[in-house]
Amino acid sequence: MPPVDIPETETHEQTGVAAPWNVVVHNDPVNLMSYVALVFRKVLGFSKDKAQKHMLEVHHKGRSIVWTGGREKAEFYVQQFHAHLLLATLEPAPQD
Amino acid sequence: MKLTATEEGALDIEGIPPFLFDLLNAIPLRAASEDPRAESRFFPDPARDELLVEDWKALVHPELHAAFLSAREVVLADLRGASELGEGFSMQIPANHTDAWLSALNQARLAIAEENRFGEKDMAEEIVPDTSNPRPLALFQISFYGFLQECLVKLQD
Repeated sequence: MPPVDIPETETHEQTGVAAPWNVVVHNDPVNLMSYVALVFRKVLGFSKDKAQKHMLEVHHKGRSIVWTGGREKAEFYVQQFHAHLLLATLEPAPQD
Repeated sequence: MKLTATEEGALDIEGIPPFLFDLLNAIPLRAASEDPRAESRFFPDPARDELLVEDWKALVHPELHAAFLSAREVVLADLRGASELGEGFSMQIPANHTDAWLSALNQARLAIAEENRFGEKDMAEEIVPDTSNPRPLALFQISFYGFLQECLVKLQD
């Protein structure tokens, strides 16, 4: 059997659809700090330390970017946070 | 009132005074607030994108409504299983009901805070229980529910 030439292919990342999105959790005066940290661990699988760090960022700075990635998954995480009654939004991540 | 974590991860609550038991029984009702401020706190916009907000209202809000209602129903069933012993009440929060309790307690705390326009300053106030005045009573209710939430969070650690 003669050798087959396999043409070289190029892959292009789609812009727009694949552009990254940030999941942002915002502070509110009612949610307990321990509860917010627990929700970070449950929804995003954060370690205790990482959950604590982001919870404190929310508390002191008013918001924390807790995840960056594809839009569909970002929407899923925001929905999970809303189901836990945390204030969360998604926003386009600034691109270099 | 005595709280004990069981080996199975449940929370036994014994000797609940009638006043606090009334507050526990109020959780499902307070959580089901129809106050417009509470509604918008329970169902915040996910982004500034108007199209996404519309989709969210159509697709996500019904799921959230159902999840919040389901949590309140679990709590109501546990409260109905409470027993009166002497001058207090006893009940158990089973391990697999912890998430429902955390949700319902949070719903109730947020609803009370929104209905009373409580902000950061109010939440930091020293609480003096006063059943004759709705404001300190509401703050006490939020604080009591927060105490229970803390216990349930610790159980999950």
